[in-house]
Amino acid sequence: MMINFILNDQKVASTAKANERLLDILRTEFACTGVKCGCKEGECGACSVILDGRLVNSCMVAMGHVEGCTVMTIEGYRKTERFAALDTSYASVSAVQCGFCMPGMVLASECILAKNPNPTEAEIREGISGNLCRCTGYNAIVQAISIAAKEGEGLW
Amino acid sequence: MVNGYQATSLKEALQILAKESVTPYSGGTDLMIDPEENATFLFLARIPEMKNIVEDTEYLRIGAACTFTDIIENELVPAILKEAAAQIAAPAIRNLATIGGNICNGSAKGDSALILFATDAKLCLVSSRGERVLPIAEFYLGRKKTALQSDELLVEILIDRINLSNYYYKKVGARDALAISRVSFAAILNVADGKIVNCKTAFGAVSDIIIRRADIDAMLVGKTTKEAKVVKKEYMAAYDQAIIPIKGRISAEYRKAVCMNLLRDFLESNGI
Repeated sequence: MMINFILNDQKVASTAKANERLLDILRTEFACTGVKCGCKEGECGACSVILDGRLVNSCMVAMGHVEGCTVMTIEGYRKTERFAALDTSYASVSAVQCGFCMPGMVLASECILAKNPNPTEAEIREGISGNLCRCTGYNAIVQAISIAAKEGEGLW
Repeated sequence: MVNGYQATSLKEALQILAKESVTPYSGGTDLMIDPEENATFLFLARIPEMKNIVEDTEYLRIGAACTFTDIIENELVPAILKEAAAQIAAPAIRNLATIGGNICNGSAKGDSALILFATDAKLCLVSSRGERVLPIAEFYLGRKKTALQSDELLVEILIDRINLSNYYYKKVGARDALAISRVSFAAILNVADGKIVNCKTAFGAVSDIIIRRADIDAMLVGKTTKEAKVVKKEYMAAYDQAIIPIKGRISAEYRKAVCMNLLRDFLESNGI
């Protein structure tokens, strides 16, 4: 029996077993390689996706849990205006180095701004607290999200 | 669905549980860390009875499949539980992890379980044979051992609605986000007409089961703050005997010292 869900605005059906990880299936069956495998224990946030509007670690989600749900990965999100605003703001302060954490970090940014279009610095730091970045030291990322909030006014 | 069942009603879930060997799957965050390769999951996230947060005359009833985000965002939930829930892991985990999973995991480090000990919460366990309501302290039998039978589901958590406001909560972890408690402490103290009517304390992440000693806390009940000060030394000494920490990644001595410091701070913050 297939597992049906919506991936990046498209109806999809997966032949995966119910106990397989969403992370692995996104990468192998759907070629969503923006979803990175970091720690496989919910500690690093590199595999973050937006599941039914909320940020989750896809390494912590079994495929059976996804039946009937909506999943957004960076591959779908990058087609949005909101992504364009974040792309510009991240670039403007060089908030990217190796890039491994970036898909998760950008989706976390989206969830912060979707909840609160004018977040405080503390709220931004809380929102990305589950996403590890070993290059940037976070300050540039925090700045980028803050810039996106200002420059992208009305988008969120 | 291979290796899984999607239950859409409690009745359906209980029927599957009664005849198949399945692992109940609520948020998945504990299960997926080290999943058994051939595990057959029973997915619970679509069972309405387990997703509600409602109140009746006596209790606040929290569905076991409510995530910590659901709990933080719900206006009926008392501040003591919201505060503890907000310090669990990070947002992406709180969006998945459920209170029922935190309890059924059977760990004394469960941050929401600690609050349920401090509030003397009850658990509603249901099987196709019927339901039973158990005080949370009776649910835990040892490290990772609970009273949950193989055909039972934890469906609801019942919290007394009164006397929850004057609380104390501290989680001691290695960092702000994604920290597992090294020691956690929750307490409630209520004074009415100048007398302590209610004193409840609970110590988490110290030994195999969360420590809740109503017999010791009873020493302060019925006393004025002044009278409580008189027995404070005796009260602290009783806890000094009762708290026997286990050594893990951190030492038993550290855990003990933190427990006693937090207990003292809780008393002092209430003028005792």
